Amino acid sequence: MNDNVEISAIVPVVKLVDPGGRLVRQYLEVLESTGRPFELVYVLDGEHEEVLEQLWAVARSEPRLRVIQLAKNFGEASALTAGFENTRGSVVLTLPAYAQVEADGIRAVLDELRHCDVAVATRQSAGSRSSAFKTARRRVFHWLVHVATGQTFSDVGCGVRALRREVVDELPLYGDQYRFIPLLAARRGFNVREVPVREAEGDRVHDHHSVTAYLARLLDVFGIVFLTRFTKKPLRFFGTIGSVIFAVGAVFLAYLAVQRLFFGVALADRPALLLTSLMVVLGMQVFALGLLGELIIFTHARDMKEYSIERIVN
Amino acid sequence: MDLSIVVPLYNEEDSVRPLHAAITEALAGLSLPGGAEILFVDDGSRDGTFAVAEQLARQDSRLRVVKFRRNFGQTPAMAAGIDLARGKYIVTMDGDLQNDPADIGQFLSKLDDGYDIVVGWRHERQDRLISRKIPSRIANWLIGKVTGVPIKDNGCSLKGFRASVIKNVPLYSEMHRFIPAMASIAGPRIAEIKVRHHARRYGRSKYGLSRVYKVLFDLLTIRMVSGFAARPLAWFALLALPFFLLSSSILTWQIVAMLVGGKTSLPIAGAGVFFGALCFFLLFSGAFAELINRTGDMRIMKASLLTAEERRYRARTGTEPVRDVEFSR
Repeated sequence: MNDNVEISAIVPVVKLVDPGGRLVRQYLEVLESTGRPFELVYVLDGEHEEVLEQLWAVARSEPRLRVIQLAKNFGEASALTAGFENTRGSVVLTLPAYAQVEADGIRAVLDELRHCDVAVATRQSAGSRSSAFKTARRRVFHWLVHVATGQTFSDVGCGVRALRREVVDELPLYGDQYRFIPLLAARRGFNVREVPVREAEGDRVHDHHSVTAYLARLLDVFGIVFLTRFTKKPLRFFGTIGSVIFAVGAVFLAYLAVQRLFFGVALADRPALLLTSLMVVLGMQVFALGLLGELIIFTHARDMKEYSIERIVN
Repeated sequence: MDLSIVVPLYNEEDSVRPLHAAITEALAGLSLPGGAEILFVDDGSRDGTFAVAEQLARQDSRLRVVKFRRNFGQTPAMAAGIDLARGKYIVTMDGDLQNDPADIGQFLSKLDDGYDIVVGWRHERQDRLISRKIPSRIANWLIGKVTGVPIKDNGCSLKGFRASVIKNVPLYSEMHRFIPAMASIAGPRIAEIKVRHHARRYGRSKYGLSRVYKVLFDLLTIRMVSGFAARPLAWFALLALPFFLLSSSILTWQIVAMLVGGKTSLPIAGAGVFFGALCFFLLFSGAFAELINRTGDMRIMKASLLTAEERRYRARTGTEPVRDVEFSR
């Protein structure tokens, strides 16, 4: 670990990689041009033989390039966390393993960080033909995020982000949350800014999404809503849903009972009885989950600080 | 250090100076050989609250100002103040000048008497009757009934704590209203004293009526964690009991009906099976809860360990959950 670096650039290599291996040199050039002491750390998430070869070739003459190899693939959040934990720079710059933005964009993001805590790049595609569908897709996703969390971002998928070290220290990351770093940081009270940058030529190559990818994105949004709104109060989430289901079931059940008692409608051949009792049962179960959630929070509340302190005077 | 005064502030730029002056004056009248500190927690105010407080802190070395990155709410602000407090006793109060720092002395003498938590009671409350007083009367009655800690005024922020007790109580979300009930897990001695209450001078009230359902869910949570924290399985089993009775009687009836008359009803037997399944689910939830407790942090239980000195206090103060302590002005 190098102690006198200012910028720690972290490149998590997960799935998509730069085929030619020119990107490393490009990143090194950009970082060099800032004139600040830096380190470039590649985190290999699982076996990436080819990338490793390319990196070694460069690293022989470039001590500022380091490679961290994870034992198997754990996912992008783990790769990033490994990078965060093994670097010291006061500025953390995450970069994608394939070209997403033009080099001057990276410098713009780093410059913007002087005025905020988190600066994220948003890609402005220059091309017209291929990007219409892509733009629409991006819009819909970010509109969903906006509706769900109340925060407006225009490109959370872009991997070029600069963060101050204290942001990294305060944000616990796991699973697919790396995508929402700007959102989570803003939620914590950090000043997050977006920097429009030119999209790289090569970015369009990786432009195919499967149905499962879409479903995964939707789940992400659901997860982030839960995490940002109800983490501390699971009972408000599960309790509300549970009570509504339970109440509908119970009212309907009472109605059936009244019909049976006073109007002589036999219960024995009414399938509605099954539905109502199922709703009562389901409502109780969801509610019980909320109670369990509360118990988890209660027993761990001391370790999860809810607030984030900017300064202490005296 | 003897005393830490914790004051959460949210958009109170007009109140900060008079508040600081009033606290300073109150402190001057107290004998605190170990010293005292004032903690202002700026909960992401949008006005000049922090600037004013920072200015004051430059002149007063006893004043510490904590600035949040954004608005997190009153409970986190109190939690931060309590976490950072270095005093043996901690007094919390509102930043809107409705509480009177002159009452702090009364709290200290009760804490000296051996009480762990001293709660203020705004007996001549200066607020609107319909929108503030009546809902709060109902809420306090309900909170007392559900949690078993009958306090007349849970909403009063002016409270005094023994630091060793309050630092072990988990404070999160909007739990500051229920601190005595939460702390009751550890069996503290709670005293309630009358305090002065002033009408609001600056700024606007930050509460509305919209929090009713939240309070209900919070109450249920506290009921669970405080009453049955040590034995969640028993609690869930109790929850499952009515469904067990329901399910077993339905199923017995159906089996008997089948044996005697040779016919059963699918909907009725099905409903019995569903309720039986729910009963199992709840029992397993209880087992799961035991697991959570086992791996969780039950530091709050540590607060219940008494030292010999505290036992002496206890003999003097009695062990009723809440004791009304009258005082004359």
